[in-house]
Amino acid sequence: MFKNYLKITWRNLLKNKSFTAINIVGLAVGMASAALILFWVQNEVSYDQFHAKKDRLYRMYNRSKIEGEIWAWGTTPKPMMATLKQDYPQVEEASRATQASFLFTLDSKHLTIPGVFTDPDFLTMFSLPLIQGNPKTALNDMKSLVLTEKTAIKLFGNTNVLGKTVKIDSVDYFTVTGVMKDLPNNTRFDFEYLMTWKYWEKINGGVDKNWGNNSVTTYIALKPGVTEEYFNKQVKNITRSHSEVKDIDVFVHPITKWRLYSKFENGQIVGGRITTIKLFSIIAAFILLIACINFMNLSTARSEKRAKEVGIRKVVGAGKGSLIAQFMGESVMIALLAGIVALAIVQISLPAFNILTEKQLFIPFASPVFWLIVVTFILFTGVVSGSYPALYLSSFAPVKVLKGTFKAANATFSPRKILVVTQFTFAIVLIISTIIVREQLDYAQNRDTGYKKDNLAYTFIQGNIDKNYQLIRNELVTSGAATAVTKTSAPMTEGWSDSWGFDWQGKDPNAKIDFNMFNVDGDFSKTMNLKIIEGRDIDIKTYPSDSSAIMINQASLKLMKFKNPIGQTVMNNGQKLTIVGVVKDFILQSPYEPVKQMIIQGPKSWFNVIHYKLNEKNTTAENLKLAEAVFKKYNSEYPFEYHFVDEEYNKKFADEQRVGTLASLFAGLTIFISCLGLFGLATYMAQNRIKEIGVRKVLGASVFGVTSMLSKDFLKLVAIAFIFATPIAWYSMEHWLQTYAYRVNISVWVFAIAAFVTTLLSIVTVSFQAVKAALANPVKSLRSE
Amino acid sequence: MIKITNLEKFYRTEEVETIALNKLSMHVDTGEFVAIMGPSGCGKSTLLNILGMLDDPDEGSYVFNSIEVAHFNERKRADLRKHNIGFVFQSFNLIDELTVFENVELPLIYTGVTTAERVKRVEEVLDKMQIMHRRNHYPQQLSGGQQQRVAIARAVVNKPKLILADEPTGNLDSSNGNDVMELLTDLNEQGTTIIMVTHSEHDARYSHRIIRLLDGQTVMENIMV
Repeated sequence: MFKNYLKITWRNLLKNKSFTAINIVGLAVGMASAALILFWVQNEVSYDQFHAKKDRLYRMYNRSKIEGEIWAWGTTPKPMMATLKQDYPQVEEASRATQASFLFTLDSKHLTIPGVFTDPDFLTMFSLPLIQGNPKTALNDMKSLVLTEKTAIKLFGNTNVLGKTVKIDSVDYFTVTGVMKDLPNNTRFDFEYLMTWKYWEKINGGVDKNWGNNSVTTYIALKPGVTEEYFNKQVKNITRSHSEVKDIDVFVHPITKWRLYSKFENGQIVGGRITTIKLFSIIAAFILLIACINFMNLSTARSEKRAKEVGIRKVVGAGKGSLIAQFMGESVMIALLAGIVALAIVQISLPAFNILTEKQLFIPFASPVFWLIVVTFILFTGVVSGSYPALYLSSFAPVKVLKGTFKAANATFSPRKILVVTQFTFAIVLIISTIIVREQLDYAQNRDTGYKKDNLAYTFIQGNIDKNYQLIRNELVTSGAATAVTKTSAPMTEGWSDSWGFDWQGKDPNAKIDFNMFNVDGDFSKTMNLKIIEGRDIDIKTYPSDSSAIMINQASLKLMKFKNPIGQTVMNNGQKLTIVGVVKDFILQSPYEPVKQMIIQGPKSWFNVIHYKLNEKNTTAENLKLAEAVFKKYNSEYPFEYHFVDEEYNKKFADEQRVGTLASLFAGLTIFISCLGLFGLATYMAQNRIKEIGVRKVLGASVFGVTSMLSKDFLKLVAIAFIFATPIAWYSMEHWLQTYAYRVNISVWVFAIAAFVTTLLSIVTVSFQAVKAALANPVKSLRSE
Repeated sequence: MIKITNLEKFYRTEEVETIALNKLSMHVDTGEFVAIMGPSGCGKSTLLNILGMLDDPDEGSYVFNSIEVAHFNERKRADLRKHNIGFVFQSFNLIDELTVFENVELPLIYTGVTTAERVKRVEEVLDKMQIMHRRNHYPQQLSGGQQQRVAIARAVVNKPKLILADEPTGNLDSSNGNDVMELLTDLNEQGTTIIMVTHSEHDARYSHRIIRLLDGQTVMENIMV
């Protein structure tokens, strides 16, 4: 019996090639989209779940009230690690981590490589195995170095490098004590080597005992059996009991929640990436559903063709059960073919998808679990899409179908119409959402940054740059590479520092107000093209007293409520600062948030970055060549590295851009699958009504009249879908926009565009068949009895 | 073999109720060859469908092989049908996607006959119907007469006790039609009961007895000699 089914299925597929193609392509595209999303979801969900001690690993967090709100953050004082290990018997292991970036020199090779400083326990806490070296001792000596495989190959050309030495920053020689297996694609850690904390202390002036400076990450492994709840009670006052800081509670954040549940509101976890995961899982489910709906629609639309077969089979003895099994088998077989095509699509599109999502996903062909999931997925798709057609087709009464009196139902409320409406509702929701995401992105990208981003480059201060700063600065200008140069504490696109220790006349003494801190030396406003609203730029050459000068931005002015800000005094922990200028607000951090109050300090503070405005008279390449010569001259050990402010600024939109691109992609695919289904339906509709069309034409109907008559029915469904889609899209996008302080208003034209696009696409899809039917010679169609 | 008593069947649309069978009673003995005749709409086909258990009556009794089947559910009817009754239709009703061999094999599949036995029986019956040389062809590749032979082969392959034929020569020319009638007569002579609906007095002459229907009732019975 099974062989017979297979045979007839196969012949049916071959006989109706266009039907088969539409079905398989639609289903395959749907399955491939869902699979890509599921790959992504699987990767997100598996983040840092592979550590053997994952049930006991935690990151230390703080909670405190600032400006009336409870904030939570994951950086800690440096001495916390040692205290946890010494004074808390529940703690088995602990380690700190903070970023490192050094110039590695090996023979003639010079490479700046990012890494992490950490404590010896790091290697035994996390399941990041060493392929060479002993994890228990690899980080014991100050100048030991653990490289990842990739970095070992980059430096030495192979991984057999235990005991070899490499020069760090032209100062120290390090010995390789371990080679780590490359980091998997699902961990929060991102480094190319590990260095010891002892070395951090050596280059940063010894052991930091300050409990007021939250600057490193602290990880702990609790002893087996210690619960999170219990330990939270124990550790709550650790910062209070070791320092003057009296308003900070300490708690732990489990490793299992790092990736997906790391958004805090009022000090409590309220979610995080899990929202996106859920959203895209829903999208995956819907795309698959839409593809299944196509199959159902096309199968039932073809029912008149299959009806005779059903009748005959029933007459010769088939029961309903065996017919259901037959049609289910058919849909599973189509799902299987579609699954194979989908697998090919996924394999081909993964590289592009990886670029889009910034991941390294791959198909685990060797994993039996993967194949088990594939088979389940195909069976599931086959059964879901086959269920309705199987029930529908198997219920035909043989008496009717064999007599030829059978006509498929064309009721006003048929399931097929509901299915089409469902498809288009979802497609339209996605289209509207895509437009709104893009609009929001545009809106934020076009926001005035307050300074000029173009032709503005920066280089981090490393090696001898600081020592030779004046020379570099002068030569950048005299060589013609740049028109203005300034030193700052951080790149223009990043806020690296903030502080709440300020006081001024008229300030509410109880308010804890946090300011962004930014340090500049001369020519700041000239380099950035930043407008000074009142007063002047900090300029120590002309005004020697500017060593204690500050500028504030408009947001600060509004907060401080000075009528004449210039010359006013601001106290910072006993130090007297004088306002010399007010600058126009500029965006330092999120382009979606209001500009935060800022205090800009002068030349006496610390600097990390040189910004230079490239000479507009030269090409960028010429400017960079000139600049490189200058930096090489005064900092010869280091490669010349630069960044463009406009490029860095654009990275702020990466998340939204990704969401926007993914939304457009899946909206496009959904509408494609839906239209494919519509096309198939229109084909069968045109065939079924061929006689009616013939009669109408004989009686004098025009081609246009017939076409619009045939298209009308489908457009009605699209219109109904639009009515359903509008509130859903409006509600969910309004919700999404709420996460942005600086956001667009949803305007009516968004819906108008979505309506127009969908209608246009459906008309094109349907009318192709409708016109073909309308143009057919009625003599032929009427003879076709 | 068949005994029906006061059988009634109505067809209802929104406005009208049509009586297809009106308190019809009749009986058919084992081994008989009965022709049912009458004008269009007299209820012939309805009767044949009920006899073939494709449809159920609204009122009355239908006893098949001493079993009352009038109120059997679909599954039970299908079960009884596939073991006892073969059908031959005016429009042949072969499955286009299956070959001659596979079409004939179909009833055996649904009654659970083993593969080897199926091959044997299908070949036997194709041989008998002189259609063996066409076993791998598809229905569209055959003439009308050949298609009806295949249909008859399919109807008899399960060795049914009863064959119901609905205008079996209706779509055939007279020569092919006569061949089909000869085949049915042969089958009848070998012991199969046959009930045939027909418009053709010529075909009806092959039967033992003609039942004439009008408006869902028996109006006359002719015994052929």
